[in-house]
Amino acid sequence: MRSWASLCLVLLLAIIVAACAGHDWASPGEVLRAIAGDPSLGARLLVDWRIPRVLAAALVGALLGLGGAVFQGVFRNPLAEPYLLGSAGGAALGATVALLVPLAVPQSVILPVLAFAGAWGATVLVIGISRVSGAVDAAGMLLAGVAVAAILGALRSFLMLALSDETVSLQIVLSWVLGGVQTPSWPGLGLLAVISAACLALTLLFARGLDMLGLGETMATSFGLNVPRFIMLAVLAGSVVVAAAVAFGGLVAFVGLAAPHVARWLMGPLHKPLLPASALVGAIVVTVADAIARSALPPAEIPLGLVTAVAGGPFFILLLARRLRT
Amino acid sequence: MTALVADKLIVKRGNATLLNGLSLSLGPTGSVAVIGPNGAGKSTLLKVLAGIEAPTSGRVLLGDRDLAGLSHATRAHALGFVPQQFDPHWDLSVDELIRMGAERGERVLQGAVDRVIADFELEALGRRRWSTLSGGERARVLLATVLVVDPPVLLADEPAASLDIRHRLGVIQSLAARGRERLSMVVVHDLDLAFSYFDRIVLVDRGSVVADAPARTLLEDPCLDAAFGVRFDRLQTDDGWLLRARL
Repeated sequence: MRSWASLCLVLLLAIIVAACAGHDWASPGEVLRAIAGDPSLGARLLVDWRIPRVLAAALVGALLGLGGAVFQGVFRNPLAEPYLLGSAGGAALGATVALLVPLAVPQSVILPVLAFAGAWGATVLVIGISRVSGAVDAAGMLLAGVAVAAILGALRSFLMLALSDETVSLQIVLSWVLGGVQTPSWPGLGLLAVISAACLALTLLFARGLDMLGLGETMATSFGLNVPRFIMLAVLAGSVVVAAAVAFGGLVAFVGLAAPHVARWLMGPLHKPLLPASALVGAIVVTVADAIARSALPPAEIPLGLVTAVAGGPFFILLLARRLRT
Repeated sequence: MTALVADKLIVKRGNATLLNGLSLSLGPTGSVAVIGPNGAGKSTLLKVLAGIEAPTSGRVLLGDRDLAGLSHATRAHALGFVPQQFDPHWDLSVDELIRMGAERGERVLQGAVDRVIADFELEALGRRRWSTLSGGERARVLLATVLVVDPPVLLADEPAASLDIRHRLGVIQSLAARGRERLSMVVVHDLDLAFSYFDRIVLVDRGSVVADAPARTLLEDPCLDAAFGVRFDRLQTDDGWLLRARL
Protein backbone atom coordinates (compact mmCIF):
# COMPACT_ATOMS: atom_id res chain seq x y z
CA MET A 1 0.00 0.00 0.00
CA ARG A 2 2.77 2.42 0.94
CA SER A 3 4.54 1.82 -2.38
CA TRP A 4 1.36 2.64 -4.31
CA ALA A 5 0.79 5.82 -2.36
CA SER A 6 4.37 6.97 -2.85
CA LEU A 7 4.29 6.18 -6.58
CA CYS A 8 1.10 8.19 -7.07
CA LEU A 9 2.48 11.03 -4.98
CA VAL A 10 5.72 11.14 -6.95
CA LEU A 11 3.76 11.14 -10.22
CA LEU A 12 1.62 14.03 -8.99
CA LEU A 13 4.72 15.98 -7.97
CA ALA A 14 6.36 15.22 -11.32
CA ILE A 15 3.29 16.48 -13.19
CA ILE A 16 3.18 19.69 -11.14
CA VAL A 17 6.89 20.36 -11.62
CA ALA A 18 6.61 19.56 -15.33
CA ALA A 19 3.65 21.92 -15.67
CA CYS A 20 5.79 24.68 -14.17
CA ALA A 21 8.85 23.85 -16.26
CA GLY A 22 9.39 25.15 -19.75
CA HIS A 23 10.72 27.98 -21.84
CA ASP A 24 9.05 30.35 -19.39
CA TRP A 25 8.88 28.90 -15.90
CA ALA A 26 5.52 29.22 -14.16
CA SER A 27 4.98 29.07 -10.41
CA PRO A 28 2.73 26.31 -9.01
CA GLY A 29 0.31 29.10 -8.06
CA GLU A 30 0.08 30.27 -11.66
CA VAL A 31 -0.55 26.70 -12.82
CA LEU A 32 -3.33 26.25 -10.26
CA ARG A 33 -4.89 29.61 -11.19
CA ALA A 34 -4.75 28.66 -14.87
CA ILE A 35 -6.55 25.39 -14.17
CA ALA A 36 -9.11 27.28 -12.10
CA GLY A 37 -9.93 29.41 -15.15
CA ASP A 38 -7.71 32.48 -15.07
CA PRO A 39 -8.46 34.29 -18.39
CA SER A 40 -4.99 35.89 -18.80
CA LEU A 41 -2.95 35.01 -21.89
CA GLY A 42 -0.23 33.26 -19.87
CA ALA A 43 -2.80 31.08 -18.15
CA ARG A 44 -4.50 30.24 -21.47
CA LEU A 45 -1.17 29.19 -22.93
CA LEU A 46 -0.57 26.93 -19.94
CA VAL A 47 -3.99 25.27 -20.24
CA ASP A 48 -3.99 24.96 -24.03
CA TRP A 49 -0.37 23.98 -24.57
CA ARG A 50 1.68 23.00 -21.60
CA ILE A 51 -0.72 21.01 -19.41
CA PRO A 52 -2.00 18.78 -22.26
CA ARG A 53 1.61 18.20 -23.26
CA VAL A 54 2.58 17.22 -19.71
CA LEU A 55 -0.37 14.84 -19.35
CA ALA A 56 0.33 13.35 -22.78
CA ALA A 57 3.94 12.74 -21.74
CA ALA A 58 2.73 10.96 -18.59
CA LEU A 59 0.37 8.76 -20.61
CA VAL A 60 3.01 7.93 -23.25
CA GLY A 61 5.35 6.99 -20.40
CA ALA A 62 2.66 4.82 -18.84
CA LEU A 63 2.16 3.01 -22.16
CA LEU A 64 5.91 2.47 -22.54
CA GLY A 65 6.18 1.08 -19.00
CA LEU A 66 3.21 -1.19 -19.60
CA GLY A 67 4.56 -2.44 -22.92
CA GLY A 68 7.97 -3.08 -21.37
CA ALA A 69 6.47 -5.11 -18.52
CA VAL A 70 4.49 -7.25 -20.99
CA PHE A 71 7.50 -7.90 -23.23
CA GLN A 72 9.83 -8.69 -20.32
CA GLY A 73 7.18 -11.04 -18.94
CA VAL A 74 6.68 -12.84 -22.24
CA PHE A 75 10.36 -13.22 -23.03
CA ARG A 76 11.41 -13.69 -19.41
CA ASN A 77 14.46 -11.72 -20.29
CA PRO A 78 15.27 -8.69 -18.15
CA LEU A 79 17.00 -7.14 -21.14
CA ALA A 80 13.97 -7.49 -23.41
CA GLU A 81 12.26 -4.28 -24.33
CA PRO A 82 9.30 -3.28 -26.48
CA TYR A 83 11.47 -2.26 -29.40
CA LEU A 84 13.12 -5.62 -29.65
CA LEU A 85 10.42 -7.25 -31.73
CA GLY A 86 10.58 -4.80 -34.58
CA SER A 87 7.38 -3.03 -33.57
CA ALA A 88 9.20 0.25 -33.08
CA GLY A 89 11.07 -0.22 -36.35
CA GLY A 90 7.75 -0.82 -38.09
CA ALA A 91 6.24 2.25 -36.48
CA ALA A 92 9.21 4.37 -37.50
CA LEU A 93 8.91 3.11 -41.08
CA GLY A 94 5.20 3.98 -41.13
CA ALA A 95 5.91 7.43 -39.75
CA THR A 96 8.67 8.02 -42.30
CA VAL A 97 6.26 7.18 -45.10
CA ALA A 98 3.66 9.52 -43.60
CA LEU A 99 6.16 12.36 -43.31
CA LEU A 100 7.91 11.99 -46.66
CA VAL A 101 5.36 10.62 -49.14
CA PRO A 102 2.81 13.22 -50.25
CA LEU A 103 -0.60 11.79 -49.39
CA ALA A 104 -4.11 13.19 -49.68
CA VAL A 105 -4.80 12.77 -45.96
CA PRO A 106 -3.61 15.39 -43.44
CA GLN A 107 -0.35 14.39 -41.75
CA SER A 108 -1.73 14.67 -38.21
CA VAL A 109 -4.15 11.85 -39.03
CA ILE A 110 -2.03 9.67 -41.26
CA LEU A 111 1.09 9.65 -39.04
CA PRO A 112 -0.43 7.88 -36.02
CA VAL A 113 -2.36 5.55 -38.32
CA LEU A 114 0.68 4.52 -40.35
CA ALA A 115 2.88 4.29 -37.24
CA PHE A 116 0.29 2.04 -35.66
CA ALA A 117 -0.03 -0.06 -38.82
CA GLY A 118 3.76 -0.36 -39.07
CA ALA A 119 4.14 -1.54 -35.47
CA TRP A 120 1.31 -4.01 -35.85
CA GLY A 121 2.54 -5.27 -39.23
CA ALA A 122 6.10 -5.79 -38.01
CA THR A 123 4.90 -7.81 -35.02
CA VAL A 124 2.62 -9.96 -37.17
CA LEU A 125 5.55 -10.49 -39.53
CA VAL A 126 7.78 -11.61 -36.64
CA ILE A 127 5.14 -14.02 -35.36
CA GLY A 128 4.62 -15.30 -38.90
CA ILE A 129 8.32 -15.94 -39.43
CA SER A 130 8.73 -17.78 -36.14
CA ARG A 131 5.61 -19.83 -36.92
CA VAL A 132 6.76 -20.85 -40.40
CA SER A 133 10.19 -21.80 -39.08
CA GLY A 134 8.50 -23.75 -36.29
CA ALA A 135 10.12 -21.76 -33.48
CA VAL A 136 7.09 -20.32 -31.70
CA ASP A 137 8.98 -19.97 -28.44
CA ALA A 138 10.41 -16.90 -26.83
CA ALA A 139 13.93 -17.41 -28.17
CA GLY A 140 12.76 -17.99 -31.75
CA MET A 141 10.61 -14.86 -31.70
CA LEU A 142 13.41 -12.81 -30.21
CA LEU A 143 15.73 -13.84 -33.06
CA ALA A 144 13.10 -13.14 -35.72
CA GLY A 145 12.39 -9.79 -34.05
CA VAL A 146 16.00 -8.66 -34.07
CA ALA A 147 16.31 -9.60 -37.76
CA VAL A 148 13.08 -7.83 -38.74
CA ALA A 149 14.07 -4.74 -36.75
CA ALA A 150 17.39 -4.56 -38.62
CA ILE A 151 15.67 -4.88 -42.01
CA LEU A 152 13.08 -2.24 -41.14
CA GLY A 153 15.77 0.14 -39.92
CA ALA A 154 17.64 -0.21 -43.21
CA LEU A 155 14.43 0.34 -45.18
CA ARG A 156 13.72 3.49 -43.22
CA SER A 157 17.21 4.85 -43.84
CA PHE A 158 16.83 4.11 -47.54
CA LEU A 159 13.46 5.90 -47.68
CA MET A 160 14.91 8.89 -45.90
CA LEU A 161 17.74 9.11 -48.42
CA ALA A 162 15.59 8.45 -51.48
CA LEU A 163 12.51 10.52 -50.70
CA SER A 164 13.71 13.64 -48.95
CA ASP A 165 14.86 16.23 -51.45
CA GLU A 166 15.06 18.97 -48.90
CA THR A 167 16.73 18.96 -45.54
CA VAL A 168 13.59 20.28 -43.81
CA SER A 169 11.55 17.09 -44.16
CA LEU A 170 14.57 15.00 -43.20
CA GLN A 171 14.82 16.98 -39.99
CA ILE A 172 11.13 16.37 -39.24
CA VAL A 173 11.60 12.62 -39.65
CA LEU A 174 14.73 12.69 -37.56
CA SER A 175 13.10 14.57 -34.70
CA TRP A 176 10.23 12.11 -34.71
CA VAL A 177 12.55 9.11 -34.75
CA LEU A 178 14.48 10.61 -31.84
CA GLY A 179 11.26 10.73 -29.87
CA GLY A 180 9.11 13.57 -28.71
CA VAL A 181 5.62 13.92 -27.34
CA GLN A 182 3.38 15.98 -29.61
CA THR A 183 1.22 18.54 -27.84
CA PRO A 184 -2.31 17.20 -28.24
CA SER A 185 -5.60 19.08 -28.27
CA TRP A 186 -7.82 18.34 -25.27
CA PRO A 187 -9.99 15.90 -27.31
CA GLY A 188 -6.78 14.29 -28.58
CA LEU A 189 -5.58 13.95 -24.99
CA GLY A 190 -8.94 12.37 -24.08
CA LEU A 191 -8.45 9.82 -26.84
CA LEU A 192 -4.95 9.03 -25.56
CA ALA A 193 -6.31 8.64 -22.02
CA VAL A 194 -9.00 6.23 -23.20
CA ILE A 195 -6.45 4.23 -25.21
CA SER A 196 -4.11 4.08 -22.22
CA ALA A 197 -6.86 2.85 -19.88
CA ALA A 198 -7.90 0.25 -22.45
CA CYS A 199 -4.28 -0.89 -22.79
CA LEU A 200 -3.98 -1.31 -19.02
CA ALA A 201 -7.20 -3.33 -18.90
CA LEU A 202 -6.07 -5.43 -21.86
CA THR A 203 -2.66 -6.25 -20.42
CA LEU A 204 -4.11 -7.06 -16.98
CA LEU A 205 -5.95 -9.94 -18.67
CA PHE A 206 -2.52 -11.45 -19.29
CA ALA A 207 -1.21 -10.99 -15.73
CA ARG A 208 -1.83 -14.53 -14.49
CA GLY A 209 -0.52 -16.14 -17.68
CA LEU A 210 2.65 -14.02 -17.48
CA ASP A 211 3.16 -15.22 -13.90
CA MET A 212 2.81 -18.83 -15.00
CA LEU A 213 5.14 -18.31 -17.95
CA GLY A 214 7.73 -17.11 -15.44
CA LEU A 215 7.85 -20.66 -14.04
CA GLY A 216 9.26 -21.86 -17.37
CA GLU A 217 7.40 -23.16 -20.39
CA THR A 218 7.24 -26.75 -19.11
CA MET A 219 5.75 -25.79 -15.75
CA ALA A 220 3.42 -23.26 -17.37
CA THR A 221 2.11 -25.98 -19.67
CA SER A 222 1.65 -28.40 -16.79
CA PHE A 223 -0.26 -25.66 -14.94
CA GLY A 224 -2.70 -25.50 -17.84
CA LEU A 225 -1.36 -22.62 -19.95
CA ASN A 226 -1.50 -23.05 -23.72
CA VAL A 227 2.00 -21.62 -24.05
CA PRO A 228 2.41 -21.02 -27.82
CA ARG A 229 -1.02 -19.44 -28.09
CA PHE A 230 -0.50 -17.33 -24.99
CA ILE A 231 2.89 -16.03 -26.15
CA MET A 232 1.39 -15.02 -29.48
CA LEU A 233 -1.59 -13.20 -27.95
CA ALA A 234 0.55 -11.51 -25.31
CA VAL A 235 3.03 -10.29 -27.94
CA LEU A 236 0.16 -8.90 -30.00
CA ALA A 237 -1.25 -7.14 -26.93
CA GLY A 238 2.19 -5.79 -26.08
CA SER A 239 2.66 -4.45 -29.59
CA VAL A 240 -0.72 -2.70 -29.47
CA VAL A 241 0.53 -0.90 -26.37
CA VAL A 242 3.87 -0.05 -27.98
CA ALA A 243 2.17 1.10 -31.18
CA ALA A 244 -0.02 3.49 -29.20
CA ALA A 245 3.01 4.82 -27.32
CA VAL A 246 5.00 5.27 -30.53
CA ALA A 247 2.12 6.90 -32.40
CA PHE A 248 1.82 9.58 -29.71
CA GLY A 249 5.42 9.87 -28.57
CA GLY A 250 7.79 8.76 -31.31
CA LEU A 251 10.66 6.44 -30.50
CA VAL A 252 11.50 6.93 -26.83
CA ALA A 253 14.33 4.68 -25.75
CA PHE A 254 14.99 2.85 -22.47
CA VAL A 255 11.75 3.66 -20.62
CA GLY A 256 10.22 0.30 -21.58
CA LEU A 257 13.40 -1.36 -20.39
CA ALA A 258 13.88 0.48 -17.12
CA ALA A 259 10.34 1.00 -15.79
CA PRO A 260 9.52 -2.70 -15.25
CA HIS A 261 12.76 -3.21 -13.33
CA VAL A 262 12.06 -0.34 -10.96
CA ALA A 263 8.48 -1.56 -10.56
CA ARG A 264 9.73 -5.08 -9.78
CA TRP A 265 12.00 -3.74 -7.04
CA LEU A 266 9.03 -1.95 -5.52
CA MET A 267 6.23 -4.48 -5.99
CA GLY A 268 7.82 -7.90 -6.47
CA PRO A 269 7.53 -10.02 -9.59
CA LEU A 270 3.79 -10.84 -9.75
CA HIS A 271 2.29 -9.17 -12.79
CA LYS A 272 -1.03 -7.99 -11.40
CA PRO A 273 0.66 -5.31 -9.29
CA LEU A 274 3.68 -5.11 -11.60
CA LEU A 275 1.81 -3.95 -14.73
CA PRO A 276 0.13 -0.87 -13.20
CA ALA A 277 3.24 -0.09 -11.14
CA SER A 278 5.40 -0.23 -14.25
CA ALA A 279 2.95 2.13 -15.99
CA LEU A 280 3.24 4.56 -13.05
CA VAL A 281 7.04 4.45 -13.09
CA GLY A 282 7.08 4.96 -16.86
CA ALA A 283 4.73 7.93 -16.47
CA ILE A 284 6.98 9.52 -13.85
CA VAL A 285 10.13 9.02 -15.93
CA VAL A 286 8.71 10.43 -19.17
CA THR A 287 7.00 13.35 -17.42
CA VAL A 288 10.31 14.39 -15.89
CA ALA A 289 12.32 13.66 -19.06
CA ASP A 290 9.87 15.66 -21.18
CA ALA A 291 10.11 18.58 -18.75
CA ILE A 292 13.89 18.49 -19.09
CA ALA A 293 13.59 18.24 -22.88
CA ARG A 294 11.41 21.37 -22.95
CA SER A 295 13.31 23.52 -20.48
CA ALA A 296 17.00 22.60 -20.53
CA LEU A 297 18.07 24.53 -23.65
CA PRO A 298 15.45 27.23 -24.33
CA PRO A 299 14.21 28.12 -26.81
CA ALA A 300 15.29 24.86 -28.47
CA GLU A 301 13.72 21.57 -27.45
CA ILE A 302 15.93 18.52 -26.96
CA PRO A 303 14.39 15.37 -28.48
CA LEU A 304 12.82 13.36 -25.64
CA GLY A 305 14.44 10.14 -26.85
CA LEU A 306 17.87 11.70 -26.36
CA VAL A 307 17.07 12.68 -22.77
CA THR A 308 15.81 9.20 -21.87
CA ALA A 309 18.74 7.56 -23.66
CA VAL A 310 21.31 9.70 -21.85
CA ALA A 311 19.68 8.86 -18.53
CA GLY A 312 18.77 5.30 -19.50
CA GLY A 313 22.12 4.27 -20.94
CA PRO A 314 23.88 4.28 -17.56
CA PHE A 315 20.90 2.44 -16.07
CA PHE A 316 21.25 -0.24 -18.73
CA ILE A 317 24.97 -0.60 -17.99
CA LEU A 318 24.25 -0.83 -14.26
CA LEU A 319 21.73 -3.58 -14.99
CA LEU A 320 24.21 -5.53 -17.08
CA ALA A 321 26.87 -5.15 -14.42
CA ARG A 322 24.55 -6.42 -11.68
CA ARG A 323 23.57 -9.35 -13.87
CA LEU A 324 27.14 -10.26 -14.67
CA ARG A 325 28.07 -10.15 -11.00
CA THR A 326 25.37 -12.59 -9.88
CA MET B 1 -10.03 -49.76 -13.64
CA THR B 2 -7.16 -47.78 -15.11
CA ALA B 3 -6.19 -44.20 -14.50
CA LEU B 4 -3.61 -43.59 -17.16
CA VAL B 5 -2.87 -45.54 -20.33
CA ALA B 6 -0.12 -45.00 -22.87
CA ASP B 7 -1.18 -46.50 -26.16
CA LYS B 8 1.58 -47.21 -28.74
CA LEU B 9 3.33 -43.90 -28.15
CA ILE B 10 5.82 -42.86 -30.79
CA VAL B 11 7.79 -39.64 -30.38
CA LYS B 12 10.20 -38.49 -33.07
CA ARG B 13 12.28 -35.34 -32.87
CA GLY B 14 14.26 -34.75 -36.06
CA ASN B 15 15.93 -38.05 -36.91
CA ALA B 16 15.82 -39.39 -33.37
CA THR B 17 13.10 -41.74 -32.15
CA LEU B 18 12.63 -40.98 -28.45
CA LEU B 19 9.67 -43.28 -27.83
CA ASN B 20 9.23 -46.30 -30.03
CA GLY B 21 5.66 -47.62 -29.80
CA LEU B 22 5.59 -47.57 -25.99
CA SER B 23 2.48 -48.92 -24.26
CA LEU B 24 1.77 -48.87 -20.54
CA SER B 25 -1.25 -49.16 -18.30
CA LEU B 26 -1.42 -47.64 -14.82
CA GLY B 27 -4.05 -48.08 -12.13
CA PRO B 28 -5.66 -45.32 -10.04
CA THR B 29 -3.32 -46.03 -7.13
CA GLY B 30 0.19 -47.34 -6.77
CA SER B 31 3.79 -46.20 -6.58
CA VAL B 32 5.60 -46.75 -9.86
CA ALA B 33 9.29 -46.12 -10.39
CA VAL B 34 10.54 -45.58 -13.93
CA ILE B 35 14.16 -46.64 -14.36
CA GLY B 36 16.46 -46.97 -17.33
CA PRO B 37 19.80 -45.78 -18.71
CA ASN B 38 20.43 -42.21 -19.89
CA GLY B 39 18.59 -41.37 -23.10
CA ALA B 40 16.16 -44.27 -22.68
CA GLY B 41 13.17 -41.95 -23.04
CA LYS B 42 12.10 -41.69 -19.37
CA SER B 43 11.72 -37.92 -19.32
CA THR B 44 9.99 -37.89 -22.71
CA LEU B 45 7.57 -40.56 -21.51
CA LEU B 46 6.69 -38.51 -18.45
CA LYS B 47 6.17 -35.31 -20.43
CA VAL B 48 3.92 -37.08 -22.94
CA LEU B 49 1.92 -38.70 -20.12
CA ALA B 50 1.56 -35.27 -18.50
CA GLY B 51 0.32 -33.76 -21.76
CA ILE B 52 3.25 -31.34 -21.95
CA GLU B 53 4.58 -32.82 -25.18
CA ALA B 54 2.40 -34.28 -27.89
CA PRO B 55 3.33 -37.72 -29.25
CA THR B 56 4.09 -38.09 -32.97
CA SER B 57 1.57 -40.91 -32.97
CA GLY B 58 -0.31 -42.94 -30.39
CA ARG B 59 -2.37 -41.51 -27.57
CA VAL B 60 -2.64 -41.15 -23.82
CA LEU B 61 -5.90 -41.99 -22.06
CA LEU B 62 -6.78 -40.36 -18.75
CA GLY B 63 -9.55 -42.54 -17.34
CA ASP B 64 -11.44 -43.31 -20.53
CA ARG B 65 -10.81 -39.98 -22.23
CA ASP B 66 -8.12 -39.01 -24.70
CA LEU B 67 -5.71 -36.59 -23.05
CA ALA B 68 -5.40 -34.57 -26.28
CA GLY B 69 -9.13 -33.82 -26.17
CA LEU B 70 -9.17 -32.46 -22.61
CA SER B 71 -9.07 -28.75 -21.81
CA HIS B 72 -5.81 -27.36 -20.47
CA ALA B 73 -7.45 -26.59 -17.14
CA THR B 74 -8.85 -30.12 -16.68
CA ARG B 75 -5.51 -31.63 -17.54
CA ALA B 76 -3.64 -29.29 -15.19
CA HIS B 77 -5.98 -30.26 -12.39
CA ALA B 78 -5.75 -34.03 -12.96
CA LEU B 79 -2.04 -34.40 -13.68
CA GLY B 80 0.61 -33.05 -11.36
CA PHE B 81 4.03 -32.77 -12.99
CA VAL B 82 7.31 -32.26 -11.19
CA PRO B 83 10.08 -31.33 -13.64
CA GLN B 84 13.67 -32.48 -13.43
CA GLN B 85 14.83 -28.89 -13.19
CA PHE B 86 12.86 -25.93 -12.00
CA ASP B 87 14.27 -22.43 -12.31
CA PRO B 88 11.61 -19.75 -11.98
CA HIS B 89 12.62 -16.66 -13.94
CA TRP B 90 11.38 -14.22 -11.33
CA ASP B 91 12.33 -14.48 -7.70
CA LEU B 92 8.94 -15.46 -6.27
CA SER B 93 8.26 -16.05 -2.59
CA VAL B 94 7.17 -19.45 -1.28
CA ASP B 95 3.64 -18.15 -0.62
CA GLU B 96 3.35 -16.75 -4.14
CA LEU B 97 4.52 -20.02 -5.70
CA ILE B 98 2.10 -22.20 -3.74
CA ARG B 99 -0.68 -19.74 -4.45
CA MET B 100 0.03 -20.05 -8.18
CA GLY B 101 -0.07 -23.82 -7.88
CA ALA B 102 -3.42 -23.56 -6.12
CA GLU B 103 -4.85 -21.20 -8.74
CA ARG B 104 -4.71 -23.84 -11.46
CA GLY B 105 -7.64 -25.60 -9.74
CA GLU B 106 -11.21 -24.54 -10.34
CA ARG B 107 -10.99 -22.31 -7.31
CA VAL B 108 -8.44 -21.67 -4.63
CA LEU B 109 -9.19 -23.56 -1.44
CA GLN B 110 -7.45 -21.86 1.46
CA GLY B 111 -7.73 -25.13 3.38
CA ALA B 112 -5.72 -26.90 0.69
CA VAL B 113 -3.01 -24.22 0.82
CA ASP B 114 -2.79 -24.49 4.62
CA ARG B 115 -2.74 -28.29 4.50
CA VAL B 116 0.07 -28.49 1.97
CA ILE B 117 2.09 -25.91 3.91
CA ALA B 118 1.70 -28.06 7.04
CA ASP B 119 2.42 -31.32 5.18
CA PHE B 120 5.69 -30.04 3.79
CA GLU B 121 6.63 -28.08 6.92
CA LEU B 122 6.82 -24.77 5.09
CA GLU B 123 5.29 -22.56 7.80
CA ALA B 124 8.57 -20.77 8.45
CA LEU B 125 9.40 -20.24 4.77
CA GLY B 126 6.28 -18.36 3.58
CA ARG B 127 7.84 -15.00 2.83
CA ARG B 128 11.25 -16.29 1.79
CA ARG B 129 12.16 -15.84 -1.86
CA TRP B 130 13.15 -18.75 -4.09
CA SER B 131 16.77 -17.56 -4.47
CA THR B 132 17.30 -17.78 -0.70
CA LEU B 133 16.14 -21.40 -0.34
CA SER B 134 18.44 -24.40 0.03
CA GLY B 135 18.18 -27.37 -2.35
CA GLY B 136 16.12 -29.39 0.12
CA GLU B 137 13.76 -26.48 0.80
CA ARG B 138 13.34 -25.93 -2.94
CA ALA B 139 12.38 -29.57 -3.46
CA ARG B 140 9.75 -29.34 -0.71
CA VAL B 141 8.35 -26.07 -2.06
CA LEU B 142 8.18 -27.47 -5.60
CA LEU B 143 6.34 -30.59 -4.42
CA ALA B 144 3.95 -28.48 -2.36
CA THR B 145 3.27 -26.22 -5.36
CA VAL B 146 2.44 -29.20 -7.57
CA LEU B 147 0.49 -31.15 -4.95
CA VAL B 148 -1.59 -28.29 -3.54
CA VAL B 149 -4.53 -29.18 -5.80
CA ASP B 150 -4.13 -32.87 -4.80
CA PRO B 151 -4.02 -34.19 -8.38
CA PRO B 152 -5.11 -37.84 -8.81
CA VAL B 153 -1.98 -38.53 -10.87
CA LEU B 154 1.52 -37.37 -9.98
CA LEU B 155 4.33 -37.61 -12.53
CA ALA B 156 7.72 -36.68 -11.11
CA ASP B 157 10.97 -36.56 -13.06
CA GLU B 158 13.85 -37.22 -10.65
CA PRO B 159 12.99 -34.33 -8.37
CA ALA B 160 15.52 -35.47 -5.76
CA ALA B 161 18.46 -36.29 -8.00
CA SER B 162 20.67 -33.41 -6.88
CA LEU B 163 19.83 -33.53 -3.17
CA ASP B 164 21.93 -34.99 -0.38
CA ILE B 165 20.95 -38.44 0.80
CA ARG B 166 18.75 -37.36 3.72
CA HIS B 167 16.67 -34.97 1.64
CA ARG B 168 16.60 -37.42 -1.27
CA LEU B 169 15.23 -40.13 1.03
CA GLY B 170 12.62 -37.74 2.38
CA VAL B 171 11.39 -36.74 -1.07
CA ILE B 172 11.41 -40.27 -2.49
CA GLN B 173 9.60 -41.64 0.56
CA SER B 174 6.85 -39.05 0.42
CA LEU B 175 6.40 -39.61 -3.33
CA ALA B 176 6.21 -43.39 -2.88
CA ALA B 177 3.85 -43.03 0.10
CA ARG B 178 1.50 -41.02 -2.07
CA GLY B 179 1.02 -44.20 -4.13
CA ARG B 180 -1.12 -45.70 -1.35
CA GLU B 181 -4.02 -43.41 -2.19
CA ARG B 182 -3.18 -41.95 -5.61
CA LEU B 183 -1.10 -42.80 -8.63
CA SER B 184 2.49 -41.72 -8.16
CA MET B 185 4.92 -42.32 -11.00
CA VAL B 186 8.50 -41.23 -10.46
CA VAL B 187 11.62 -41.39 -12.60
CA VAL B 188 14.29 -42.63 -10.18
CA HIS B 189 18.00 -42.79 -10.91
CA ASP B 190 19.07 -44.45 -7.69
CA LEU B 191 18.14 -48.11 -8.26
CA ASP B 192 18.35 -49.05 -4.58
CA LEU B 193 15.82 -46.36 -3.73
CA ALA B 194 13.58 -47.51 -6.58
CA PHE B 195 13.61 -51.14 -5.45
CA SER B 196 13.28 -50.29 -1.77
CA TYR B 197 10.34 -47.92 -1.83
CA PHE B 198 8.25 -48.53 -4.96
CA ASP B 199 5.71 -51.32 -5.58
CA ARG B 200 6.15 -51.49 -9.28
CA ILE B 201 9.13 -50.87 -11.54
CA VAL B 202 8.94 -49.93 -15.20
CA LEU B 203 12.26 -50.47 -16.99
CA VAL B 204 12.54 -48.30 -20.10
CA ASP B 205 15.26 -48.70 -22.71
CA ARG B 206 15.56 -47.27 -26.21
CA GLY B 207 12.07 -45.83 -26.15
CA SER B 208 10.26 -49.01 -25.14
CA VAL B 209 9.20 -50.74 -21.95
CA VAL B 210 11.65 -53.62 -21.46
CA ALA B 211 10.15 -54.89 -18.23
CA ASP B 212 7.19 -53.93 -16.08
CA ALA B 213 6.90 -55.92 -12.87
CA PRO B 214 6.73 -55.75 -9.08
CA ALA B 215 10.03 -54.66 -7.60
CA ARG B 216 10.83 -58.07 -6.10
CA THR B 217 10.33 -59.87 -9.45
CA LEU B 218 12.24 -57.42 -11.59
CA LEU B 219 15.18 -57.41 -9.20
CA GLU B 220 16.10 -60.94 -10.27
CA ASP B 221 15.50 -60.42 -13.98
CA PRO B 222 18.70 -60.44 -16.07
CA CYS B 223 17.18 -57.85 -18.41
CA LEU B 224 18.11 -55.31 -15.75
CA ASP B 225 21.82 -56.03 -16.33
CA ALA B 226 21.34 -55.91 -20.11
CA ALA B 227 19.51 -52.58 -20.10
CA PHE B 228 22.15 -50.81 -18.02
CA GLY B 229 25.07 -52.60 -19.71
CA VAL B 230 26.57 -53.77 -16.41
CA ARG B 231 26.65 -56.85 -14.22
CA PHE B 232 24.75 -56.41 -10.93
CA ASP B 233 25.67 -58.22 -7.70
CA ARG B 234 22.42 -58.64 -5.78
CA LEU B 235 23.30 -58.41 -2.12
CA GLN B 236 20.70 -59.38 0.45
CA THR B 237 20.44 -57.22 3.55
CA ASP B 238 18.21 -57.45 6.62
CA ASP B 239 15.27 -55.70 5.01
CA GLY B 240 15.85 -55.81 1.26
CA TRP B 241 18.39 -55.97 -1.49
CA LEU B 242 21.32 -53.90 -2.56
CA LEU B 243 22.58 -53.69 -6.12
CA ARG B 244 26.26 -53.35 -6.81
CA ALA B 245 27.21 -52.70 -10.41
CA ARG B 246 30.32 -54.06 -12.12
CA LEU B 247 31.45 -53.42 -15.65
